Amino acid sequence: MEENAYKSESMHEGVPKKTLLESVSDFFKKDLVQYIVKRILMFVPTLLLISILVFFVIQLPPGDYVSAHIAALATEGEIVDADYAAQLRADYGLDLPIHEQYIKWIKDIIWTPTDSTYYRLYGSHHNWKYSFAYGRDVWDVVDDRLGLTILVTAIIMIFQYAVSLPIAVYASTHQYSVGDYVSSVIGFLGAAIPNFILAIVLMYLSYKWTGNANVGLFTQEMLQNGIHLYNFGDFLKRMIIPILVIGTSGTCGIIRSVRAQMLDEVGRQYTLTARAKGVPERTIIMKYCFRAAINPTVSGLGGVLSSLFSGSTVTAMVLNMQIQGPVLFKALQAQDMYLAGAIVMVQAVLVVIGILFSDIALAFLDPRIRYSGGGR
Amino acid sequence: MKKRLIALLLAGTMAVSLAACGPDNSNPSDSVSNGSSEDVQQSTPSESTPEESTPETTPAPEAQGYSEAPMLADLVQGGTLPKLEDRLPAADDIFVDTADAAGNPLEIGTYGGVINLLGAGGSWGLSRPVLEGIIRYNSDGTYYANVIKSFEHNDDYTVWTFKLREGMKWSDGEDFNADDITFWYYMCHLTNYDTKKSWAALKETVDGEDAWANLEKVDDYTVTWTFANPKFPADFVENGDFKWCWAPEHYLNDMIPDSVYVENPYWEKTGLSDEQVLLNAQAKGIDAATVSDLGKAVTYYWWNEDGIPNLNSYVLTTKEGNNSRDAQLCILERNPYFWKVDAQGQQLPYCDEIHFNATSEDGQDQLMFRSGELDIIEVAMQDISSLLTDLGDKAQLRTLASTNWGSYLLTFNYTCTDKNYADLFSNVKFREAMSICVDRDQVSGLLSEGFLEPGQCAPQEGNFGYDAEWEAKWTDYSVDNAKKLLEECGLVMGSDGFYDFADGTDFTLTIYTYTDSGAADAYPVFEQYYKAAGINCATKDIEVSAFDTEVDNNNWYAILGPHTAIGGVSLKSRVQPFVPIAQSAEWYGEYGTYYGTNGEQGVKPEGDMAKLVEIYEKWKATPDSAERDQYTLDIYNLHKENLWTIAYLKAAGAYSLVSSKVHNYPDLLVSDDLYQYQNIIHYWTLFKTE
Repeated sequence: MEENAYKSESMHEGVPKKTLLESVSDFFKKDLVQYIVKRILMFVPTLLLISILVFFVIQLPPGDYVSAHIAALATEGEIVDADYAAQLRADYGLDLPIHEQYIKWIKDIIWTPTDSTYYRLYGSHHNWKYSFAYGRDVWDVVDDRLGLTILVTAIIMIFQYAVSLPIAVYASTHQYSVGDYVSSVIGFLGAAIPNFILAIVLMYLSYKWTGNANVGLFTQEMLQNGIHLYNFGDFLKRMIIPILVIGTSGTCGIIRSVRAQMLDEVGRQYTLTARAKGVPERTIIMKYCFRAAINPTVSGLGGVLSSLFSGSTVTAMVLNMQIQGPVLFKALQAQDMYLAGAIVMVQAVLVVIGILFSDIALAFLDPRIRYSGGGR
Repeated sequence: MKKRLIALLLAGTMAVSLAACGPDNSNPSDSVSNGSSEDVQQSTPSESTPEESTPETTPAPEAQGYSEAPMLADLVQGGTLPKLEDRLPAADDIFVDTADAAGNPLEIGTYGGVINLLGAGGSWGLSRPVLEGIIRYNSDGTYYANVIKSFEHNDDYTVWTFKLREGMKWSDGEDFNADDITFWYYMCHLTNYDTKKSWAALKETVDGEDAWANLEKVDDYTVTWTFANPKFPADFVENGDFKWCWAPEHYLNDMIPDSVYVENPYWEKTGLSDEQVLLNAQAKGIDAATVSDLGKAVTYYWWNEDGIPNLNSYVLTTKEGNNSRDAQLCILERNPYFWKVDAQGQQLPYCDEIHFNATSEDGQDQLMFRSGELDIIEVAMQDISSLLTDLGDKAQLRTLASTNWGSYLLTFNYTCTDKNYADLFSNVKFREAMSICVDRDQVSGLLSEGFLEPGQCAPQEGNFGYDAEWEAKWTDYSVDNAKKLLEECGLVMGSDGFYDFADGTDFTLTIYTYTDSGAADAYPVFEQYYKAAGINCATKDIEVSAFDTEVDNNNWYAILGPHTAIGGVSLKSRVQPFVPIAQSAEWYGEYGTYYGTNGEQGVKPEGDMAKLVEIYEKWKATPDSAERDQYTLDIYNLHKENLWTIAYLKAAGAYSLVSSKVHNYPDLLVSDDLYQYQNIIHYWTLFKTE
């Protein structure tokens, strides 16, 4: 036993130890900077292409905001004359050919000059235009829910990873145990039940058990006075259903994929070798197997930034959550093209940035990618 | 069985409530003053035939003095609000509210609490419960002066005089007087800053040209509207568009740009550029992309902007986060200067706030109602029974009868560009065939669980113009008779089992529906009947704005569930649903465009369609109420003869569940655009008890 322990230690001594700082510094010394610069340069044409797609796809449905607006007014009993409709179209530039509308839109987003009315009104060089449906500057509308969307999604994501990774590691190291089966069953259920149905069921149960369905993230009191320390507990209570609904579905996916990867890694030669050389089991699992097993999960982080921005639309609607997703839905319904366009564009930018980050993280995590120049 | 019972009860109560709504045949009074809804109380609806209620002035309850909500009393105590006597109008001009819109006496309420409603959708949502108009209607169609103290006209109806309530104040405490009327008219309306210069109420035709009334300020509390031609009540105070004629000059005067200015005797140019008014508006928290948007926001949908003073019972809060109709929780706060009191002199409203709680999905409102987070919700008739069973005495059912002319309306394009179709649709036998080929009893069971009875497109029982024969016309189900009629129309049975046109071309009835109207879900039920009668049909469900565009472009054949259906209180509510005078309702298609564009576009109406317009012109030209009703009935008769729109079931009412804690919520009123829908509830008189 003692001999083995000695061997194990000496094996570790054979590998030069680096501090985290040194690892990071080494990592960036390589040709990564060049790689990042290249990727950033690729952003421009990518985003331009996306912007064209976004603008034209949003305009595909017949009619425009003005016709949608007039139809909505008719439903409310107000009859609008054709002159007003024409005036609105002229005011908003909706009477221009679509390519001219696009050029004006993208040009104003990139740079609005200082001597423009927009700059004098809003003090910004980036005019995302006006949201017809909300009657406000587009960025104001987006900004309204941004903080909450990030907070809610971040809480849910932390929950997802904090719960799913330990379970996945446990399930893979205790394959075919009761715990593995239980987590598998929960995993399958979570993945199989659509979020919106789970949301409805949980709201119903909440109503039955507590007399309150917990619809929405806030109580009336919070909506009037904001969230403070004294009512933060109530807020967390209201977060239970969203976390369970959105969190579990994501959790299940992560558990399944990490467990499968872990099982794969645990059976590999290098694991056997390490184990044969007496490396402690905990080190084998966490330092070698787990690190390799989370590669697919890390590569999936590209979408995280975008998710943080928009949240989960359908579930947010079912749960009456005041996050960005339902705003996009409303914008699309009302043909509020500038608002919809802005949200989709920001999402696209975040996806592109997110993919870059996940590539960098992957290269950092996995020396094979780094040394083989993978990802480039 | 239980549902049937409830349906019968509902139908019965609706019939009783609407029985009071008869045609009015009174003499118009020269002067209508009033300050009280007590008038309603003093005359039962069946007796109150005059359209214009003519009450005696209600004595103000001076003996007891006036009292106010504790929260306001605290403000007075703290020196931040003037005393109540200084906030109310002069004693004789205070409006004493004693009865609901059906004439039932109001319970004297207690102050405090919040009325929780569902989120206010659309541009009008926040206005519905609180908007105070020039006149106010009772559910029997009678009306009385509301914001103004009285209105009167001269003998030939060319001069109308409005008297205001002395001492009345805006919700920010500034005086409300004749200047606010002239400011609205000359700076907001005639400039088309409110985008509504086309309103018929203040417009007339002089020497073939459009002309507008001349408004004169007589004194601080009197204005006159002068027309070149007689301006009868139907076209003026009764006109559904003419809801207000004021704007707070003291607040809006820095938001009117010179670019819209029109010469007038009262107001000079403000000297402000377009950009400057946008900046001024922004400084007051009002965001607008263009001057036109700003104009509409501050002078038309003004209830949606916080900070703009008004005369309503409640005003939008200025508290950030709750001051927008799009907010998750939008709050209306009591107007401390509201000019109505109850019979004991308590200043209204009773409740401190109205909360609009936004939801994002159907069904959330019911959960929130069950949880006690909402006090009032609208419910579909299918849900009433189960909800009431669950909630027991915690909720009360309230019904607003509908003035719609039926459910599941089918209409055709009589100006269809394909002549085969246009001729066929114009043939009354075709419409009869389309009506009788459907088994309404079965449809009722399938689509409304038996709640809605079979019926035709006609005024519903209790409404003006109700005619039992009309309601039952073409409702006897007979596929054989339908086929005979189709053959009499010249259609020929093809080898595929469906009728073709006589010239051998294929006949397929494409039925349009618009998304969210519910018609798309109902279509498969009707399809089986049409096909059984040999009518090949298809459907096209499109988003509402695209749908309207197709209609505007005359690119359609038939519609199930039209966007602008025939129906309403009567012509005095809105003319467009009944007569082809605008590009508005589907049932007259391009005939309406013809009139609306003075013959420049559209298709010239002929036959009975043209007669509708002829009678309407006579209707417009008479001040006599009885005569006007007769013309309305003449128009109705043409509808009865032609049934340009078919209905398969009777109209559904609007049903609300109201928490038992809420008092003074009336039952069995009528929901209509003329009455501003829920506005007829009089939310300022609601109060809550635990």
